[in-house]
Amino acid sequence: MSAVAPTAPTASAPSPPRQSDSSLTVAAQMFGADFLKLRRKRGIMIWALVLAVAPILIFFLVSAIQHASEPLKYGPHGIEGYGPAGGVKNFSDGLRVVTLFFGPLAAILIGVEAGTGDASAGVFRDLVVTGRSRLALFASRVPAALAICWIVIIAAFALLLAGSFIFASNLPTPGGALILNSLGFALLGTGVLCVIAVGLASLTTSKPAAIIVMIAWQVVASPLLASISSLGSSRRAILSQAIAHFSPVHVGEGGHGASVTMGEGTALLVVVVWVAVFLALGAWRTRTMDA
Amino acid sequence: MEFAIETHGLTKRFGARTALDGIDLQVPRGSAFGFLGPNGAGKTTIIRTLLGLTAANAGTMEVLGYPVPHQGAQALRRVGAIVEEPRFHPNLTGRENLRIVAAVRGPETRALIEPALDRVGLADRAGNKVKSYSMGMRQRLGVARCLLADPLLLILDEPTNGLDPGGIQEFREMIRAMVEQEGRTVFVSSHLLDEVEKTCDAAAIVDRGKVIVQGSIAELAQGGGVRNELILGVDDVELALTTLGASELVSDAHRSDEGLRVELTGEPQTASEVNATLVRAGVGVTRLEPVRHSLEQRFLEVTSRLDAAPTGDDASSGVADEEQVRA
Repeated sequence: MSAVAPTAPTASAPSPPRQSDSSLTVAAQMFGADFLKLRRKRGIMIWALVLAVAPILIFFLVSAIQHASEPLKYGPHGIEGYGPAGGVKNFSDGLRVVTLFFGPLAAILIGVEAGTGDASAGVFRDLVVTGRSRLALFASRVPAALAICWIVIIAAFALLLAGSFIFASNLPTPGGALILNSLGFALLGTGVLCVIAVGLASLTTSKPAAIIVMIAWQVVASPLLASISSLGSSRRAILSQAIAHFSPVHVGEGGHGASVTMGEGTALLVVVVWVAVFLALGAWRTRTMDA
Repeated sequence: MEFAIETHGLTKRFGARTALDGIDLQVPRGSAFGFLGPNGAGKTTIIRTLLGLTAANAGTMEVLGYPVPHQGAQALRRVGAIVEEPRFHPNLTGRENLRIVAAVRGPETRALIEPALDRVGLADRAGNKVKSYSMGMRQRLGVARCLLADPLLLILDEPTNGLDPGGIQEFREMIRAMVEQEGRTVFVSSHLLDEVEKTCDAAAIVDRGKVIVQGSIAELAQGGGVRNELILGVDDVELALTTLGASELVSDAHRSDEGLRVELTGEPQTASEVNATLVRAGVGVTRLEPVRHSLEQRFLEVTSRLDAAPTGDDASSGVADEEQVRA
């Protein structure tokens, strides 16, 4: 290391303006930094893409092979009732896969990484000692996680859409309104889980704990609780039920795809409360924890 | 005198354990200040408290004149710190890691990345992922990250850990250059006495959460006051002790393993007069050597005194009161 370099900043030199700059510029830079951290987490990115995209690929591949090998059985009016791999029906099935099953897993992985990345790398304290507010540090994780999550989900959705048209054969294809509504639904469903994962991971600061809790709740506990009819209207508080309510395709018995009936306002309120509670918990923990 | 760091009665507890016990610390601006203590003495805890990484239970702190934690954000804008070992995102390059911190510090900070990398000699490797860096390179990158703050105060926690001898020497030179040529204040925590003695202008010795003594390196080494001492070799010890006991030039003389240990009342130059006095009294002087007080000696002295105390906290409190020496 050279003892002194002529270009080095010195304490006596005029200091550059500090942190009084436009908060929008700072927010944009912090978003960029968090986005970079996530994007360069190769393992997380690969697994998120695999979870979101691979099931759709397999779904179309298997359907196409079945249709090609036994067109009578797996034809438009085949014995099993299955048509070609594409079309509206398969688009609807694929949307469920992306939004309600595998997309959420990708969203959870990304959200948890965003929530714990700084702490697990040991750099959170180095960010705190910049003097930047801890709430700002927490807040910048959320849009970065959402951006990465949505890029992955959009890739999966694009694949689903392409397959629905390519393999449609003589079946009707999804219309513009259905496509847009479905995209919105996919982004909402996965985005909500991603944000909650950021909050929960920031709260626990443990990657394994946050992932296990999120997946256990989403995949095991939620469907189980929703199926217990004796719980009555309290089941409306289940997040997955509220999200499914916004589905543009039929995926359940409660109207709009949910197994629990509720109004649109109630569904929206449930989603907002879940997001707000976990964001608040994550922000509180980030602000108060020993770094 | 202006202080870069000033604390009064700073206390931090972890459950029943008191990690910092009423720390009073004053770090003069524009100096290299060593914070010495054995492992577990509370060095890292005070750094973490000053930086707002953990909250104090009692006491007051000022960093660069700002009360912390109330105006911590203002204070930390011109503070660079390495706490424990420097940590980074291993999957990002050195430059990308700095870019992340620059984004958090503010848009103008980005312009300081390349000069900081040049300064620590990492410009050529800045495009490599940090996971491929050696410990020494990570230390350098940590310093580069500190420089993004254009710091008036650098806080370095055990900065030479993992460095080879050449790296340690370069690190010392860099710290001195920062202080002498750039007017920065460098606060170095270490358990390596030699490192502090060679690098710092002043130091504090901390043990069991208390500052035992603080002052300039010379003052610390001499035990809180200026003591000019000699080691004498003589052919007649009894006669020498009698002669020295009657001399106004000597405040104390006693036997030691090395010979006669003599404390002078005046300047070191009076050693020649002591020699003349002994010779006039018929004592043959075979050896006359000024005692060089080392920080290590002093450190062991104050920390072993604590070990001997019956109840650590009460006894050490007494020592702290007695030996407080201000820089």
